[in-house]
Amino acid sequence: MGFNSFKRALWAYHINTGSCNGCDIEILATLTPRYDVERFGIVLVGSPRHADVLLVTGPVARQMASRVKRVYEQVPDPKMVIVVGNCGIEGDVFHESYNLVGPVDQIIPVDVYVPGCPPRPEAIIEAVVKAWVKLEKAEQGVR
Amino acid sequence: MVSLPFWNPVICIIAFAILTAIACLFTSRGQKKYKKGTAQTEVFLSGEEPPAVEQRHIKSHNIYWGFFKTLKEYYDPTVRAHTGIVNDFIIWFIAIAALTAVILLIASLT
Repeated sequence: MGFNSFKRALWAYHINTGSCNGCDIEILATLTPRYDVERFGIVLVGSPRHADVLLVTGPVARQMASRVKRVYEQVPDPKMVIVVGNCGIEGDVFHESYNLVGPVDQIIPVDVYVPGCPPRPEAIIEAVVKAWVKLEKAEQGVR
Repeated sequence: MVSLPFWNPVICIIAFAILTAIACLFTSRGQKKYKKGTAQTEVFLSGEEPPAVEQRHIKSHNIYWGFFKTLKEYYDPTVRAHTGIVNDFIIWFIAIAALTAVILLIASLT
């Protein structure tokens, strides 16, 4: 797979909107020596202003809605959003909770969904690659 | 006799120009896609709304944190004494005036 427009490393910012931490642990697992996504240039960064991709976990608790929206707005264009886990996709076991305003795609636009409770690291990596391809196309559109 | 270190303003100017050129090089290679005037150029505070520009400063209390920490034994009772109630200040005033009068009286007798 050759990239023509997006030639640098892909930086991702991870935000937890009320997750049980299961998906967060799987995201961290992708960075461990077994999967080691950093060898492909995929790095987790500490600020959305440095990121190309937003990794969102959790079903969006009421208190987190404005925060996730603000974080999304702080990511420079073009940007991709990946929702990791069933909670962010449709609420999963929390879907009837009084304190949820999600799922994520009701708050911010989502590009890639990764179902699972929690999803396997391989699925998360595949989603990031899909986002990367989409970002490549978006980057060409910007030029 | 203490010898002065080497000093030449021309070298300083050249060094400043080189450092400025390096800074400009770094800046020119930075991310250009940030949209000015949007949240993309705002301060990131873990998703919290950043305070107004005039509110972004380090409070003097933070600067003197170590000072207050070191002198905690002194400041704690004095801060407690400053209740903000006028009656308390008057009582302190009368007490200190009485103590001063007693000291002066003893001093005048000896």
